[in-house]
Amino acid sequence: MAVIQVGGLRKSYGDVIAVDGMEFAVERGELYGFLGPNGAGKTTTIRALTGQLRPDRGTVRVLETDPAAEPIETRRRVGILPEQQSPPSFLTPREYLEFVGDVRDIEPERVAAQTDAWADRLGFESKLDTLHTDLSRGQQQKVMITQAFLHEPDVVFIDEPLANLDPLVQEQVKRFLVSYAAGDNAVFVSTHNIDVAEDICTRVGIVADGRIVTERSLEDGDDGSLLEVFLDRVTGADVRDAPSLDGLESELEV
Amino acid sequence: MTRATTARSRDRSSTWRLFAVLFREEWRLHTRLFGGWRFALFPLVIAVLAVGATVALQATGTADGTIVTGLHVLALGFGLYSGTAGFAGSDMLENVFGRLSLVLSTSTTLPLSRRRLLGVFLLKDALFYAIAFVLPMALSNAALVGLSATTPLAVATLWLSLSLVFAAGMALTVAMIAVRTRGVPTWAISGAVVLGLGGALATGSTESIWAVFVPIEGSVGNALGLVAGTVLVSVGSLALYDPTYGRPSRTASDRFARLSDALPASADGAGGALVSKTLLDLARSSGGVWKPFVSAGILLALVAALVGVVETITGIVPAPGIFFGGVLGLTAFTTYNWLTQFDSLEAYLAYPVSIADVFRAKRTAFVLVGAPTVAVPYLAAVLWFEATLVDAVVGAVLLAGYALYYYGLTVYIAGFDPNEFLFDAVRFSLFTLGVGVALVPTLVVGFVVVPPTGTVAVALGVAGVVFGAVGLVLSSRAGPRWEERSRVGE
Repeated sequence: MAVIQVGGLRKSYGDVIAVDGMEFAVERGELYGFLGPNGAGKTTTIRALTGQLRPDRGTVRVLETDPAAEPIETRRRVGILPEQQSPPSFLTPREYLEFVGDVRDIEPERVAAQTDAWADRLGFESKLDTLHTDLSRGQQQKVMITQAFLHEPDVVFIDEPLANLDPLVQEQVKRFLVSYAAGDNAVFVSTHNIDVAEDICTRVGIVADGRIVTERSLEDGDDGSLLEVFLDRVTGADVRDAPSLDGLESELEV
Repeated sequence: MTRATTARSRDRSSTWRLFAVLFREEWRLHTRLFGGWRFALFPLVIAVLAVGATVALQATGTADGTIVTGLHVLALGFGLYSGTAGFAGSDMLENVFGRLSLVLSTSTTLPLSRRRLLGVFLLKDALFYAIAFVLPMALSNAALVGLSATTPLAVATLWLSLSLVFAAGMALTVAMIAVRTRGVPTWAISGAVVLGLGGALATGSTESIWAVFVPIEGSVGNALGLVAGTVLVSVGSLALYDPTYGRPSRTASDRFARLSDALPASADGAGGALVSKTLLDLARSSGGVWKPFVSAGILLALVAALVGVVETITGIVPAPGIFFGGVLGLTAFTTYNWLTQFDSLEAYLAYPVSIADVFRAKRTAFVLVGAPTVAVPYLAAVLWFEATLVDAVVGAVLLAGYALYYYGLTVYIAGFDPNEFLFDAVRFSLFTLGVGVALVPTLVVGFVVVPPTGTVAVALGVAGVVFGAVGLVLSSRAGPRWEERSRVGE
């Protein structure tokens, strides 16, 4: 049974239709890539799936909850890593994770153990007592990744998982996401980065103009690059027609 | 033309272009935030309020000089605030300048001097606000002098006078920010301000200082002195300002759990966590827990000075308990502003908490921080002005009730952005109307019935309780109201 089920989802802001006719389902064990250009409706969809926005119409089910009717229950069961940078917070990562533990009703001992484990995994042990606002963006992202997994949820929504991370940590996070999904969970990753999607996802849905224009399994072997499919389905263009920077230097010379 | 002359001319031209771009950015920022007509109407609202209040004050027998002084107090306060409410610090500077002012942040990517950019930015701010806010205030003079051929000149003169004071206020705040970038701690800056004010009071030089800050009623020499002082402080601040200032990375021991445990039982679980986060954010941001006290102190000083001026001119001293109880409740706005300054409602939507939960937690934090914030200046005022016991008790009831009412009004109308709504004509009008309904009759009573009679005391006590209850209802409804708006995507 699907842990995320979306049917006929529509959401508009005034005259602007952000999402219209969105349909897809995600099963346990999947690392689902939600791939699309800016303004395609990815963030709006995630916000509807996590009860932050009420859709105009359509059905949404996440872990057998209806995010529109019971947003708190949905958010209790899932993990969320938002794309938006967290506002300056004057808590330290240790205190921030205690805060998340409190609002998610996790025992303090478990929070402490998880905090140490994640700090060790992502390499921010030395920053546990530094104010969050004074951390680099990469370090802040590590802390935010930790909070999304602190309660070991069955479903995790992640907007741009690798933003601001150095290559070494990117690899660690990618490996972790793959193993987490394989452990009978579902990870829903929204990204612009085709390489990342191709690298870690089991299946991708390509989004354009507020709906899925194609879905593709990445476990069935290679039948053309994801970039080619993306360009074809999003812009209708052949990848070979994509603008090239070759010769730009000579053109700019006066 | 020599190369040096060409370079100077190019510099002037690029500075002017920079100024124009910043000015356009400021306009677009406000119109985008609040909607074009809502922001465009704002000066009109200010004008209506200023002229209306002037007419009303004249009708109650207030001297013209008092009204003009009051306008200068407002302009000075607004100027101090427009320098980013800023002596509290670099967090505010970074938040406001870094996040919102895109052109200002271009000094990191373009060959533009950060110091020059900041100078032009502040000049633009001074001009923008002088036109959008100070000019409408100056229209009060039309009500004071009456309509005649000389009215435009009278309005222009008051505008100039108010603008000078506004700019002086801005310059003072910027100076404090500049000093801060040289590593001077906030407590030392606050101490210097307190010492300066205390020294002025102790030496009895407040009147001569006052004369400088009301240029329209002083000599030309005073006005020129204010101009020279403002220019000197501004230029000096820009020279002192260290664009490379970077705060060292700060660490802190774990206080979260201990603080959550110490909170009242009503704030346990998620509520306790939300309150603790708010309190720690307040305590650890620049200026610490003293920020709300400083805001309240500024209000106390301005109102106390105004009372002194009124007494000098009219010989009337208002009932201090009623007067200060009513006015100091307004610190609810600044206190709430500090409690939400480093926060964003959207950030909470990643957790299993409702927006109503967040607002409830903010109310608990407001009571915990707001109570001592108003109690200290209120006690100082009633002791200093020797209030009678009845007056002091009634004032305390008014203070508690009105503070809760102003708080409820603020969160209901402005949600999580109390600072920004100051520039939205509709919301600002509603807030002003809401404040006026409670405050104006109270102040009138405070001036007319001194000391308060038994009947007046009971009536005002009831008013305090009723308005407090209204505030409680408004703040309870704010959560669901803003939750609904957020979920619709507004």
